[in-house]
Amino acid sequence: MAERGGERGGERGGFGRGFGRGGRGDRGGRRGGRRGPRQEEEKWVPVTKLGRLVKEGRINKIEEIYLHSLPVKEHQIVETIVPGLKDEVMKITPVQKQTRAGQRTRFKAFVVVGDGDGHVGLGVKCAKEVATAIRGAIILAKLSVVPVRRGYWGNKIGPPHTVPCKVTGKCGSVTVRMVPAPRGSGIVAARVPKKVLQFAGIEDVFTSSRGSTKTLGNFVKATFDCLMKTYGFLTPEFWTQTNFSMTPFQQFTDLLGKPTKGLVLEAPTETVEA
Amino acid sequence: MAAAAGGGAVRALSQKEQDIQMMLAADVHLGTKNCDFQMERYVFKRRTDGIYIINLGKTWEKLQLAARVIVAIENPQDIIVQSARPYGQRAVLKFAQYTGAHAIAGRHTPGTFTNQLQTSFSEPRLLILTDPRTDHQPIKESALGNIPTIAFCDTDSPMRYVDIGIPANNKGRNSIGCLFWLLARMVLQMRGTILPGHKWEVMVDLFFYRDPEEAKEQEEEAAAAPDFAAITDYQGAEQWGAEQWTSDVAVPPVAPTGADWGAAPAPVPTGDGWDQAGAPVPADGVVPPVAAPTGWDQAAQPTAQGWE
Repeated sequence: MAERGGERGGERGGFGRGFGRGGRGDRGGRRGGRRGPRQEEEKWVPVTKLGRLVKEGRINKIEEIYLHSLPVKEHQIVETIVPGLKDEVMKITPVQKQTRAGQRTRFKAFVVVGDGDGHVGLGVKCAKEVATAIRGAIILAKLSVVPVRRGYWGNKIGPPHTVPCKVTGKCGSVTVRMVPAPRGSGIVAARVPKKVLQFAGIEDVFTSSRGSTKTLGNFVKATFDCLMKTYGFLTPEFWTQTNFSMTPFQQFTDLLGKPTKGLVLEAPTETVEA
Repeated sequence: MAAAAGGGAVRALSQKEQDIQMMLAADVHLGTKNCDFQMERYVFKRRTDGIYIINLGKTWEKLQLAARVIVAIENPQDIIVQSARPYGQRAVLKFAQYTGAHAIAGRHTPGTFTNQLQTSFSEPRLLILTDPRTDHQPIKESALGNIPTIAFCDTDSPMRYVDIGIPANNKGRNSIGCLFWLLARMVLQMRGTILPGHKWEVMVDLFFYRDPEEAKEQEEEAAAAPDFAAITDYQGAEQWGAEQWTSDVAVPPVAPTGADWGAAPAPVPTGDGWDQAGAPVPADGVVPPVAAPTGWDQAAQPTAQGWE
């Protein structure tokens, strides 16, 4: 499963300057095998409130974040809560812009991230060097992790294995349709969406696609969009009344109220009469 | 409930009626010539010259609702009050001072609520604005960050992404000051800091916007007044005694609720003019007279001289 999609991109064509060097650089597929200083990775100083809560371990499941629609701004949040995240570079395409001094090439990296158990993320990043692009794409992919709903084709025996209902996703001209399949069918899809679906943790599904699926960017975004919709579909299980709970920001307001070391502690200028 | 102007003359006015009288005096009820469809429910009538009149009873109810929401936030520092408009800036700062919130006066740097790399990044739990139209940038950002928004909306204000809209005139300086004063008082009452029956010692005038020239003039006048009054003060303190001072001092806080909006402080002679000018040492200046009348004597002399 460790398909080096990047190889193809690296060998394609000989565009101007600096290309060959970048093509052989760090490829994705390995987590933590960074050339950069290790220290930066380990010492994460959270900037957002959510980051602080996650670092202190007050939030254990990513579902709590989804429940309150909290925007995730720091990728370390996802890394901490969803430990089994694997990433895979789908493709590296060189894209060019014309300048009067020739062409300016940049590399666009598509990375899919997932834990194989209901969470996927897709990241797209363009940068001057391949390694930077891949790194950036992995970060963006982690920020965009969404839950995937799985259901049954027929008998509800064992864990859910397929999509709960027929769903379709669209991006550009590409539409991807996923249809529930009986156990043992496997993922019946093209190479690209198959990878995404494997990361999502879907075991059996029939797919059908339309449009220019050659454009990998749109194809992969369409399957991602399709997977996002699985939880958007209203089924009778959701007919019961929701019991609203406090947002983590309200629940842990005392903890968040304490100033962090980095903050400048201003002597309370507001002479509070409250 | 809202009118009761004639009927109220016989018996004492309730708190709500007094507030509404104050709002009428501050022109809070005057809207604009246009009316947004979502504000129609708060409008009483359209005047012959085209201006919509806001139903102040509903304004009062919405103020109560907003105050309840504000009180529900456990940490008051998580509340941000904002005004880009100059007329609201002083009110916003004073409101923050008395309720413990955070004030942003002047330009709202885009990205304050969304860009985590900015130094001014903050994630408030509640946002209070003076005008959804001029403060549209914070509204947009709060929508991205799950931040509920309270705003004073005029009849033509867009209500998009505003969760609690308080119908009021947000154009006039007196109006904005009056509204923030009322809101602050309601919040403090609900928290229990102020007992409901009592008047709040802080004056409404404190929340009004002052032009820089007007502020300078008032300072000069106030400097002049205690200047030659200080001499009489000195002798008066020994002659009159504490009782005289209490009765004297009780007058200024009550009078402003009448019609004396930020008018020239001259009318009352001796140190009382100093009281209404208010600005340079507002909190200290207003609170002590009621709290410790004898202490005020001693306080008056050094500060009166300190004016020069």
